[in-house]
Amino acid sequence: MKSTLHKIMLPAILLVLAYGFWVSPDFKEIAAGVAIFLFGMLSLEEGFKAFTGGILEKILKRTTNRLWKSVSFGILSTTIMQSSSLVSVITISFLGAGLIGLAQGVGIIFGANIGTTTGAWLVAGFGLKVKISAYAMPMLVFGVIMIFQKSRHIKGIGYVLTGLGFLFLGIHHMKEGFETFKSAIDLAEYAVTGYPGLFLFTAIGIFATVVMQSSHATLVLIITALAAQQISYENALALAIGANVGTTITAILGALSSNEVGKRLAGAHLIFNVTTGLIAIAFIHQLLVAVDLISAYVGIGETDYTLKLAVFHTLFNLIGVIVMIPFTNHLVVFLERVIKSEPDRYAQPKYLNEGSLEFGDTALEALRMETARVYGKATDVIAKGLSLNKEEILSDAKLKKVIAQHARAIDYDIDDVYEHEIKHLCSAILDYTNKLSSADPVIARQISRIRMANQSILIALKDVKHLQKNMKRYIASDNPEISAEYNRLRQRIAKVMRRLEKIRASGETSTTSILSLDALKLTLEKNMSLLHERMNELIRDGKVSAEMAISLMNDSNYTYSIIHNLIQINHNYLKSEEGGETEAEHMIALNREEIGTVLADDREITEYR
Amino acid sequence: MKFDNTLKKKLLKKLKSYMNAEAEQIQQEDDGLSKVLKKLKKKEKHLESLIASERDKDEREMLEQELQVVHSQRKKGITLLSSVRKKGKK
Repeated sequence: MKSTLHKIMLPAILLVLAYGFWVSPDFKEIAAGVAIFLFGMLSLEEGFKAFTGGILEKILKRTTNRLWKSVSFGILSTTIMQSSSLVSVITISFLGAGLIGLAQGVGIIFGANIGTTTGAWLVAGFGLKVKISAYAMPMLVFGVIMIFQKSRHIKGIGYVLTGLGFLFLGIHHMKEGFETFKSAIDLAEYAVTGYPGLFLFTAIGIFATVVMQSSHATLVLIITALAAQQISYENALALAIGANVGTTITAILGALSSNEVGKRLAGAHLIFNVTTGLIAIAFIHQLLVAVDLISAYVGIGETDYTLKLAVFHTLFNLIGVIVMIPFTNHLVVFLERVIKSEPDRYAQPKYLNEGSLEFGDTALEALRMETARVYGKATDVIAKGLSLNKEEILSDAKLKKVIAQHARAIDYDIDDVYEHEIKHLCSAILDYTNKLSSADPVIARQISRIRMANQSILIALKDVKHLQKNMKRYIASDNPEISAEYNRLRQRIAKVMRRLEKIRASGETSTTSILSLDALKLTLEKNMSLLHERMNELIRDGKVSAEMAISLMNDSNYTYSIIHNLIQINHNYLKSEEGGETEAEHMIALNREEIGTVLADDREITEYR
Repeated sequence: MKFDNTLKKKLLKKLKSYMNAEAEQIQQEDDGLSKVLKKLKKKEKHLESLIASERDKDEREMLEQELQVVHSQRKKGITLLSSVRKKGKK
């Protein structure tokens, strides 16, 4: 049914478009603008992909690893480029190429909204208007020449330049197409007072910005209309609010050609700007008072409405960022839930390409990134295999509560995901490691660690598959003893996943990550011996049947293996990043015997107590 | 031209590393171990303060366990460092 619909849809769309082109030249211009813009996005993303595992990625990681840093990054880049829309689409490309994560992207978007207010100051204060679209043609020329070069990085820069050139060109054509609508915007015609006027002018602001593809252009229009007293000051403020919401259209257009992460970012942009707009409308009177106070304080004349508009623009965007910052993580979780990833059937490697094989460091980084991606998928499968939700496992919620909320088993075909997603990717990684074999012992060691990490992923998934069978049967069993034991097994795995995520998250700031795994190894050994003791007790007291006891025994071994392999994946993954300190950590890390000694000491202390 | 002591030490260290690759490796190991040991000491103190303020019994037990591990790691690290230094003197 779906495929039949798909077969009909495409020709229908093409026919409608062709008819539109025949009837209206403006429509043709707009549609061509959108098409060029989308092609620009693809080219931009392709360009940034050339820098994965390279210097750009390192810079981006360093400059956006904290929320304040990503916000500052957004402010600075928007101030320089004078276009929050451009910063949004570039951020979407970064996300599409896997250079940054969604949370960092959201931070940049927050910052871009503050950065965009500098435009209002420049326009209102100095009558300046930075027009970067004039660079579109030279960018295209230089870009295409660079694309034909052999060097991967020059090629990458070429794609980025071509992408930017097409973006500007696309926006230009969209603007041209909308030209006829633009002349219809006579702001004075709509002058209405009070809240109805506020909403009406906000809507006009949104429309005008969508039409002109630039909140800057709308601001210029507002300031001109205000200076000519075509509209009231309150109406101008409403228009500015609308311009802020309307500017998200560029990001939404840009997200069309991006993957789900890009779409999530465009969603974040829209939610942020709509929320900020609603706050500004709700507190418009208080904001007016605040603008008057600030203006008086900085020496802006009482009737200098254009500068007051700039103050208002800055103020409400700042308030928006301050209000939204505490909800950043919730926003990310919400977007991930709403915009789901497409089922990645026969998943393809994202970072491995033949070209990067020539560059040892880049290839190694690509391998690490691909492994991290597979690990991310694998932990998702493990969580679902345990009838749990990965986001909840990694949240701050009490695990006991999370598990109690998921007391019912869900049907989840691990084999299917394993066959179609994980196995294919892992074999691609292993193939790549074979091609990359290096004579340098350090690199060879790193490659071998990545290989081992991937093998551990496969073993962990196989074990979850075995564990899933009985677990589904027993977690909601009438026998409270056996259900409690199985829920305990689920809790243990979930606890380790959460702890590992914390260690991985601190990986960039703390270099003792490998050593942090030792504590987990100790807990694993300790819990296993506790489990065996309790199992013996249950069998002795006849609280579980012999069949249950055998299942529990087998499954506790699977649990042990899953946890052990999860630790091993992280151990090898972390060790694959070799440096002076990592080598030292490797030397200091405790081996199994030493863990055993610590465990024995721990027992002695407990007994002594 | 006057050299201060730190500059002299730095220059000597560089000269030594040019002359002897093995010595350089030992020096690298020494540096790495010293840095990690410093971090572990910091972590130990941080864990101690966390344990002192933790009220949840299970959580405290986990932290104590982690402290034990860090303690053993430091012990192992110190032993390794002294053997690396001995090797360096030879």
